Amino acid sequence: MTEGVVDIARMKPGDRFTRGSKVVDALSKAGLLIAILAVILYGSIANAAFFSTGNFLNVLTSMSIVGIVVVGMTFVLVVGGLADLSVPATIACGAILSLGLQPMIGPVPSFMVAVALAGAIGLLNGVLVGYFGVNPIIATLGVGTIGLGIVQAAVGGVIVYGTNPASAELVKGRLFGIPVVAIIFAAIAILGHIILSRSFWGRWTLATGGNYSAAEASAVPVRAVKAGAFVITGLAAGISGGLLGLTLQSARPLVGTGYEFSAITAVVVGGVSIIGGFGSVPRAIAGLVFVQLLTNVMVLEGVRTPVQGFVLGALIVCAVGMDAALRKRGGA
Amino acid sequence: MRYVSLALQYRVPIILGLTLIISAMLVPGYVSATTLSLGLDRAATIGLIAIGLTVLLIAGQIDLSAGSVFALAGIVSIMLQPQLGILPAAAAGVVVGMVAGAINGALVVGLKVHSLVLTLATMLIFRSIAHWITDSQPVTGTDIMFSLALAQIYLDVFTVRSALFVAFILLLHFWLTRTIPGRNVFAVGSNAVAAEESGIASGRILFFGFVFAGTLAGLAGVLQSLVTNTGSPVFGSTLIVTVIAAVVVGGTRIEGGKGSALGTLGGVLTIGALTVAMEFQSVPAYVQQVVSGFILILLVVLDRTVSTRRKATASRPSLVQGNPIKQGGSA
Amino acid sequence: MTDAHCALDMKGITKTFPGVKALSNVNFSVKFGSVHAVVGENGAGKSTLMKVLNGSYPPTSGTIRVGGTEVRMRRPADAQALGVRMVHQEINLVPDLSVAENVYLGRMPGKWTLLRRREMVAKATAVLEELGAAINPRERLGNLSISQQQLVEIAKAYAADPRIIVLDEPTSSLSEHETAALFSILRKMRDDGIAIVYISHRLKEVLQIADEVTVLRDGSMIETRPIEGITAGEMISLMVGREVSNVFPKSPAAIGAPVLSVENISDGKHFRDVSFDVRAGEILGLTGLVGAGRTEVARAIFGLSQLTGGTLRLGGREPGIRSPSDAVKAGIAYVPEDRKGDGIVPAMCVRENISLPILRQLSKLGCVSHGADRALAGHYVSQFAISPPDGERRINLLSGGNQQKAVIAKWLAAKPSVLILDEPTRGVDVGAKAEIHNIIGQLVAEGMAVLMISSELPEVLGVCDRVVVMRDGHASAPIDRKELSEERIMALATGEEVA
Repeated sequence: MTEGVVDIARMKPGDRFTRGSKVVDALSKAGLLIAILAVILYGSIANAAFFSTGNFLNVLTSMSIVGIVVVGMTFVLVVGGLADLSVPATIACGAILSLGLQPMIGPVPSFMVAVALAGAIGLLNGVLVGYFGVNPIIATLGVGTIGLGIVQAAVGGVIVYGTNPASAELVKGRLFGIPVVAIIFAAIAILGHIILSRSFWGRWTLATGGNYSAAEASAVPVRAVKAGAFVITGLAAGISGGLLGLTLQSARPLVGTGYEFSAITAVVVGGVSIIGGFGSVPRAIAGLVFVQLLTNVMVLEGVRTPVQGFVLGALIVCAVGMDAALRKRGGA
Repeated sequence: MRYVSLALQYRVPIILGLTLIISAMLVPGYVSATTLSLGLDRAATIGLIAIGLTVLLIAGQIDLSAGSVFALAGIVSIMLQPQLGILPAAAAGVVVGMVAGAINGALVVGLKVHSLVLTLATMLIFRSIAHWITDSQPVTGTDIMFSLALAQIYLDVFTVRSALFVAFILLLHFWLTRTIPGRNVFAVGSNAVAAEESGIASGRILFFGFVFAGTLAGLAGVLQSLVTNTGSPVFGSTLIVTVIAAVVVGGTRIEGGKGSALGTLGGVLTIGALTVAMEFQSVPAYVQQVVSGFILILLVVLDRTVSTRRKATASRPSLVQGNPIKQGGSA
Repeated sequence: MTDAHCALDMKGITKTFPGVKALSNVNFSVKFGSVHAVVGENGAGKSTLMKVLNGSYPPTSGTIRVGGTEVRMRRPADAQALGVRMVHQEINLVPDLSVAENVYLGRMPGKWTLLRRREMVAKATAVLEELGAAINPRERLGNLSISQQQLVEIAKAYAADPRIIVLDEPTSSLSEHETAALFSILRKMRDDGIAIVYISHRLKEVLQIADEVTVLRDGSMIETRPIEGITAGEMISLMVGREVSNVFPKSPAAIGAPVLSVENISDGKHFRDVSFDVRAGEILGLTGLVGAGRTEVARAIFGLSQLTGGTLRLGGREPGIRSPSDAVKAGIAYVPEDRKGDGIVPAMCVRENISLPILRQLSKLGCVSHGADRALAGHYVSQFAISPPDGERRINLLSGGNQQKAVIAKWLAAKPSVLILDEPTRGVDVGAKAEIHNIIGQLVAEGMAVLMISSELPEVLGVCDRVVVMRDGHASAPIDRKELSEERIMALATGEEVA
């Protein structure tokens, strides 16, 4: 036995795995699956409209837009970056530019430019957090405020409409009966999963979140890795915003409000550690599925929007509480 | 380098002075008692929340839910007016703030979760409650005359809330520098483990820090709602960035352990002066947001780059000269 | 044993954690006015025993008497109320408060809540003077050097008028010179009638300062003996349960051409004009007082901080190192001083830790090759006899010595030509220490150039071929093994003639 194992007072990331890690691990994984099944069971009993292809496709479509952000946000949490609060700004940037630039440069280049600019906002976050060591919440809050202000100023606070119906049809369409948006989401999720769990970049991300100075002393380019997580989130939110704009064919500056919370909720509910060093894309997506199904059941049951917000907030509290409890149990 | 560190030491008055000078040059009719009282009044809302946040930041914590608490407390103080009357309803609003703070504090201390993430969640929860009880509609109070009385300017400068703000700041200054609990807040923020092992109940200090911050956010919300005779679930949704900017301009360190009430006063006045200047020039609200976001980022970056450089020089080895005990070697 | 001289009497102390028996039936007693040393390998239960005494861990069974009365301690505050004070191994003070505020942390003098600052500063001045430490009580603590902070930590415990004071490895960040000063303080406290519990790995210090010594092994008390008539060798054999003949084996290796040479390197802050070279098959020791700039030199060579002047050559070329990854490419590896902080990623398994610096070499198209990753870890786990022999185990479940072996393995995987070891055996128990020295011996025998930083003079004298001594940011000329003596090193390190 190591003396450090029993020292609860000096707990560090990773200590949640000190003892009985496999049991706890399996339990937290199975717990989420059981919760998802329970929601499906309850939904099927409570509401006839729930267990239908139409409804599931609905959930899948709305889930896909948030889901793309969730993939990025997973990297931010795992690398120890707490959260990216500039998501509403990057989504608005993606949505407004991909619609607003259409008359000038056509739909595909507009989408590209929109995503690139969202990535640039992510890069700004990343440089502030990774290279200047600014607290991520403060940095992304500030950058988000600036970004949103600039977007609002650029369009004068009005709504932007799409001018290219063909692009809307493409995004809203289906391939083999599956919504195109969902396919894009699946592709991004798989890519994200491969990067995080199989690539050296992913290993670096986990190491940086697990012990920053040890990773630095192991020749991991920690600053770039930290910044990279925010760039990934910026790009993801840009894609998500672009798809959202194309689907709705209109974009307000506040179109992305609330997406940061939905994404954080999903990631945290999925059991990704808030202090970094542990987590995976499938976990985060399991969290997302749970949250989305729960929201769907609430909508079908006629629960009002503010109450849904309340439940989401409460879910985050429970999830972080559980994360802390697991760490504590792992430590003792 | 010496000038830089000197400038940093007195950065709060320097920034405030520069803001005032530039505003005075750009905005005609800026320098007057009316502007001063207006600026103070604008600053008071941010300022009251900033007072609570100063204590929390020194203790190494943050409350992102302050904007939501601000809205919720205001709504309660307006909605209860028909049943309770104006003053008891206002008191109820402040109590709502206090309870919200207690919830934050209990969760942060009880769950041992960092307040950044936790108050992010409660920010959503409190905002949802605000929408819930108002059906997302603004609510109006019973007596417009009371609002006018509150907006009254006394002694050419102070409104009720700006006077309250200045009084609270002075009290906070005294408390932080001259009392044992005040010093303990610094200890908890600077090294919580050491404080705990020295018998300082850091959990209790943090809990009351959150209660204090919640109460002040509630008070600010109640005053705002009384002055405007309205409560709205969207009030204060962008407030928190401005408040954090004000506190950080005032030299309080985000990571805890360092900060002062007078610094916060300077920061709040700077933001107030800036807001009034922009309002005089009818700069749209979202541009004002850009400005406060920019100031926040700029100062935090400046703080980071300088503090790392300082640390590097501070850790210069002092070795034997620093240790006056002259003893023979052990060999 | 319940006479008036008995400050502390612990009887039959057992402490179990889920699945682990950390202490079993330990008896331990300390007299007023004496220094009682506690020694044992890592994991022997020293820290757990002290945490029981400190009130951090209530014992599962057993009785504790302080000054003759039986007590129950549930939290550190209870122990403090009884006059038990801890001085931790790591400095545990508040950098943003003043020295005086730190000395009276948690018990600042005042009326109601109003702080009496003048009274506090006056009292702190008196305490610091009594300890012979010329530290300004109004200074911000964070501005002091590490050793001064350590003195403030001791002043803090002393100011509380303790009956029992527990020091856990108090000399780990002190130089030999400062250690001597600390000992005179401890003797003074002892003469004042305070009971002192002294925990240390450094047996030489124990022999110097202690009146009695208790040896712990595997959570049990092995023996308590007066210090007269016990030798370091006997203590070691009691600690490990066997006779250890040679603590510092030195295997001969053929010394070749210089691999790493630095000439007049400076970083503008911590060290200036440092020159030395490390040759193939050689262990070059770098020693000196803590704060002399040794670790800073190593970190700068490895690219963790920047050089402002001088040249660094590797095999005759100038690689121009600006980051650790440049250093790794150039063939330098660095095993850091702070294993928990800089060495391991605790949430990762041994395999993932070992492959971290060379992940890109193990990757194809950006993806880490599973087979290569496993083979690499398997190789080092068996070569270094890392225990338990399981590469998939989380590294923080391993003992300190095995963690250190994994950290060394991590760097050997990068195939360096120069290995820098910063305090490689600090906080490692005696058995693992010998194993690590064996590994280093093998490496130099294979022609590796090793730069080893160590504060422990017996280790430096035992394993190094040449030694460079640093003082106040400057380095001495290398001294050959044959001309080495503790006195010589101390004289160079302190700049004073040592009696």
